[in-house]
Amino acid sequence: MATVEERIKAVTARVLKLDPDEIKPEHSFTVDLGAESVQSVELVAMFEEEFGIEMDEDAALSVETVGNAVEFIADVCKQQGVEVEQ
Amino acid sequence: MCVWLDIFVEWIKKALRAGFRTEVKDFFMRLILVDSPDEVRGNFYPFALSHPLWELRCGFSSLGEKLVARVGAGNVACFVPEYMAAAYRAKVEGLVNETSVLEGDDLFIVDPRIKADGFNVSTAGPSEVGLDEQGDLLYARVTKTDLAELPKDGIGQFMASAKAKLPNVKSALPTWQYIWDLVLANADQITADFATAGRSGVEGIVEEPSAIRGNKKDIYIAPGAKVHPMAVLDAEHGPIYIDEGVEVHPFSRIEGPCYIGKDSILLGAKCREGNSIGPACRIGGEVEESIIHGYSNKYHDGFLGHAYVGEWVNLGALTTNSDLKNDYSCVSVMLDGRRSINTGSTKVGSLIGDHVKTSIGTLLNTGSYVGAMAIIMAMGKPLPKFIPSFAWFLEGVVTKGFGKRQLYETAKVAMGRRGCRWTEAEQDMWDAVFEMTAPMRNKAVKKGRRAMLNR
Repeated sequence: MATVEERIKAVTARVLKLDPDEIKPEHSFTVDLGAESVQSVELVAMFEEEFGIEMDEDAALSVETVGNAVEFIADVCKQQGVEVEQ
Repeated sequence: MCVWLDIFVEWIKKALRAGFRTEVKDFFMRLILVDSPDEVRGNFYPFALSHPLWELRCGFSSLGEKLVARVGAGNVACFVPEYMAAAYRAKVEGLVNETSVLEGDDLFIVDPRIKADGFNVSTAGPSEVGLDEQGDLLYARVTKTDLAELPKDGIGQFMASAKAKLPNVKSALPTWQYIWDLVLANADQITADFATAGRSGVEGIVEEPSAIRGNKKDIYIAPGAKVHPMAVLDAEHGPIYIDEGVEVHPFSRIEGPCYIGKDSILLGAKCREGNSIGPACRIGGEVEESIIHGYSNKYHDGFLGHAYVGEWVNLGALTTNSDLKNDYSCVSVMLDGRRSINTGSTKVGSLIGDHVKTSIGTLLNTGSYVGAMAIIMAMGKPLPKFIPSFAWFLEGVVTKGFGKRQLYETAKVAMGRRGCRWTEAEQDMWDAVFEMTAPMRNKAVKKGRRAMLNR
């Protein structure tokens, strides 16, 4: 199974039409990867679909970097009983 | 305050016509409006999500105002769904969900779906409970003596006990069945309300050059209303009532029957027949046979027809709805996102809940339902017919968007711009609506995610 980070990068690459290899944990979704507001909503939705979880919109949209997203989603998965590869 | 003065004036007129002694008793009888059961309220969504049914409007006024005027009671109380009680209590002068109103003198309970024009039950007389064909309570006349025998713990128990203990009669009182019925009846109701109001002529200002077509007796321009130059008021096919403080800007054309509510502004609008607008609305573009509640805006071009629009709605420029299918067949509506209801009418536009915001260029389908608090971003083609409440419709799918809190912030700002306050009670009510509407919205959100994934 791919790790949380790998899966997040794959989703991000698909939504933002980027090369996944160019996405780093320190990258900000908006500043570095160019996500516009509507794309941020799509990212949250696609992360939920990818991991089978439901995220609080305010909390999820407050996540700024790819690395923060890895931590946040891993935590949500743990809370909702979803097994993931760290 | 003005509502009660109007009620008193109407009571005086009725008393003078019908004999004073009985009417004095009627005036002091307590009228209780009791909102309908949930399964019935759903027929009046999305507006009824955040309002009691008697706040639905047709013609000049609300269903409640019409019933109160018709019954002639001077003492009115009401029972609303508990989740909206605190918000409604803060909004109105009167007793809301207080069981103490079930004590004391004779009382008369009515279901707000009763059409006031067809209300012909005497409010004086022995106790009786009027039931419709389904056995639901339409009205209850309860004398002081019988009142003492009924439980007062809650309105539900009270009504159930009244139905069980008091004589039942079959009632054929006409009732409103669905929210679109109000739209379809609006033109006739405006004409009837104009006659009842008994006012005509120009008490405001009409600046020249303007054109008035039809009989001037069919036009009333209230004090403080201003019709700017180059406006046309066409009462050839029905009356036009322009209420206090209204501004009609140049190149607007108003075609009767039409009611423009207090402090509304028409900005070069093509206001076709059958509209009830306001109060405090800003309307441009083309509007036809629609009911638009207070503080809603359709400032710019775009067509709105056969629509029922709640409060605090903003329709972005070029928002347009269809109200007629290409094959002229009857329009169907989904009030719950699942069951399609044949309206029996070829002309039904959009049902738009409170606080909806649409982006520029939004295209609403025939018979579409846009739930309260929804945010719509146009997608270049007609939207799905059902958008759940609190949905963020972005990129062609229902999403959770930026969440409920952001919607509340937007509502707060919109209300603040008009000097109105977003209160804690109101937020609590909307929280309850959010929960009530969650199942359909969550289903739509999941469907939206799958659609995004498959792009």
